[in-house]
Amino acid sequence: MTLQYGQILHYLPDFAIGALVALWIAAVAFAGGLLIGLIGAAVLSFAPRPARALVLAYVRFFTWTPQLVQIFFLFFALPEIGITLSPVAAVLIGMTLNAGAYLTEIERAGFASVPRAELDAAETMGFSRPQIVWYVIAPHVVRALYPALSNHYIIMTLGTSMAAIFGVEELTGRALNANAISFRSVEIFSVVAGIYILLTIIASALLWLVGRWMFRVRAKVF
Amino acid sequence: MGAWEIIVAEAPRFFTWWNIRFLLQAMLNTLVASVLGCTLGYMLGFALAALRVPHLMPFPPLRWLCVLWAETFRRIPFLVLLLLVFFLLQFARLEAPLWVVAVAAVAIRMSALAAENIRAGLESVRPSQWEAALTMNLPPWTVLGRIVLPQAWRVILPPSIAHVLSMVKETSLVSQIGFIEITFAAKMLTQRGFSALLTYSSALILYFLLGWALAALGRHAERRLTARRTASPPAASPLPAG
Repeated sequence: MTLQYGQILHYLPDFAIGALVALWIAAVAFAGGLLIGLIGAAVLSFAPRPARALVLAYVRFFTWTPQLVQIFFLFFALPEIGITLSPVAAVLIGMTLNAGAYLTEIERAGFASVPRAELDAAETMGFSRPQIVWYVIAPHVVRALYPALSNHYIIMTLGTSMAAIFGVEELTGRALNANAISFRSVEIFSVVAGIYILLTIIASALLWLVGRWMFRVRAKVF
Repeated sequence: MGAWEIIVAEAPRFFTWWNIRFLLQAMLNTLVASVLGCTLGYMLGFALAALRVPHLMPFPPLRWLCVLWAETFRRIPFLVLLLLVFFLLQFARLEAPLWVVAVAAVAIRMSALAAENIRAGLESVRPSQWEAALTMNLPPWTVLGRIVLPQAWRVILPPSIAHVLSMVKETSLVSQIGFIEITFAAKMLTQRGFSALLTYSSALILYFLLGWALAALGRHAERRLTARRTASPPAASPLPAG
């Protein structure tokens, strides 16, 4: 048996669409996770103890258990109590909740990065609350968080591959389909691995450039 | 029917001696596959990180190869890596048992994560220490073991434990090739007609326990590292830092 890469070349356009689906899933879940993370980080930083304990329990549960099993639970266990989710919905909800937990931890660190003295100075100079948030807190938080958030987005892009298990036709899902038809397993999965590598390198480069131009952050991204 | 009523109604039928033993054995499989894979991967990752140091590996192409290995396997999703290892072994006509495939995939992924992490640790030690020790004619590997690593360890250890936890979670994907770890066990029990609500909650609880144990281990290790740092501060250097 030899490797026959020529036989799978015609799958490449199909895989390219799959890569876009993967990026889309990651982007939607990331946006949702960012919002949950913002609320979670605010609660952990400012809310009274019972609320903090609740958010901490959420973070621990989702960061200590595998995302795959969380989605299995949503997809296979919830129908028993009358909630039936489509594969894409289950994957998106699972990934969003999972991202929310990680981003809560990351964003809390960003809140802690604002120096007390700068807040006092802004207040003394008569800044209004929204002005303090926009001119003092936001620049710090964005700069402190940008590298960690970028990394997490790329990790989530890689994580979308598990959507294939639920039949979502993203990159890995399309690879599994192509494999079932052609049996060129090694060829298909090595090409798909290459596409993921390319995807993350492009994403790293773009995020690095955006970070430099928009936020003057000079950190290595992934 | 609400979730609670289903759980109460199904629990006596589910929590039998046989099922509990089955799940615990699966948990042991998860643990063995991840610990074995992480140990092998960590050793490989250590070698990759060490061979990236010019003092230890004067031949540049081999250094580039180490960088390439880590950069490649860090960027492939674990599921794709696992399937690639699985099909490559099949392609090479090696009759590898499933646990070998699982351990190999975990080891490869861990080696890439560990190499990055150990490299960052080694770089946290000032280059002047390397130069000073080499000037005193210490062999390069002795410098690494006796001078650089003891200082780098504090940077290396905390992320390492996070990586082990992430590998324990990644092994859930090994269920896709049929290795009986926690996730596959839960799937099998579901297919035998037990309530998915119960089987997958049990799986989640078992993973949670593993995560809790690893987090406790990490806290303990970190406390010991900081305790040692405060107990015996390094003697004041007569030379200016830098």
